[in-house]
Amino acid sequence: MADEALKRFMCLGCGFLYDEQLGLPEHGIRPGTRWAEIPEDWVCPDCGTPKSGFEMVEIPYATDPLAAGSAE
Amino acid sequence: MAHSFVLRDAERGHQTLVSTGPNASYVAGHPDGVITRHSSFNFHEYQSGRPGFGKIRVFGDEVFSGVGCGYNMHPHHNFLIMAFVLEGRLTHINTMGKIDELEPGDYYLASFGSGGKHCELNLEAKDLNVIYVWALPDRLMLPPRYSRAHFDAAAARNRLVTLIGATPGAVPIPQDFRVSRLVGDRAQRHTYRPASRAHGVYIFVVAGEIGCAGMELGRRDSAGVWDVDEIICETGPGPSDVLFVETIM
Repeated sequence: MADEALKRFMCLGCGFLYDEQLGLPEHGIRPGTRWAEIPEDWVCPDCGTPKSGFEMVEIPYATDPLAAGSAE
Repeated sequence: MAHSFVLRDAERGHQTLVSTGPNASYVAGHPDGVITRHSSFNFHEYQSGRPGFGKIRVFGDEVFSGVGCGYNMHPHHNFLIMAFVLEGRLTHINTMGKIDELEPGDYYLASFGSGGKHCELNLEAKDLNVIYVWALPDRLMLPPRYSRAHFDAAAARNRLVTLIGATPGAVPIPQDFRVSRLVGDRAQRHTYRPASRAHGVYIFVVAGEIGCAGMELGRRDSAGVWDVDEIICETGPGPSDVLFVETIM
């Protein structure tokens, strides 16, 4: 588990992002918290969509060096 | 190998949202206002069915009935949200621009990126019918951006026109994605060529009847086709209006 890459999850209700690397310190979730460690009754802090309504995404950040050349 | 599916009008997810009860703060309008939503894909908990198609997560056919009916100001991040007005007038207040009014043929792309909010209302007595498409972006937390444009059905009659995507004159989008529209008034044969066999095309019949990739599709029927070099689309003898949403799979 500890060796597994940190993942990103997007809320399908509004697009809110949960990034395991960043956590959500302002909501009491420390950086590095795995998705599986978040309680099943947790909901999107922006729109209330349940945890089950999130999708794991493998999308780079706009600021990632490798993504800088993407076309828009 | 070519793949396809058909989703008939009546097989779509169906939901009505009223401005009272649990949705009172989300749905705008008088208590008799109602939003009718037909969803082609699994809009989180609302429907069991296909979760999406390529980068598409939502394809909603929505009618806002009643003066003031709509969605109150609510937040988004990341999603690429497109709206195509079919009937009525959409008042769109958003944090990326000004108050926008959209009428039939008008459409917008809101790339919410690092975050924004919007409010969508029907301020008229007559119904507002909008097609909403939501897609995943190719990058997260982009600077928010709002674009709007107009599809001139009369000028484009019987031609397939790209509304959104990497085509001159179309609204650019930060994804390998393309939305085209065909409005015709006679029987015609069109060949749609996806960018590659790794792309899929979701074909939605707004009005009329078409034969597409060997499937007969009527009003509000739709189909997904992928891993093909081309899609042959034959419109019926009467008026037809078809949306083609192409996405990397």
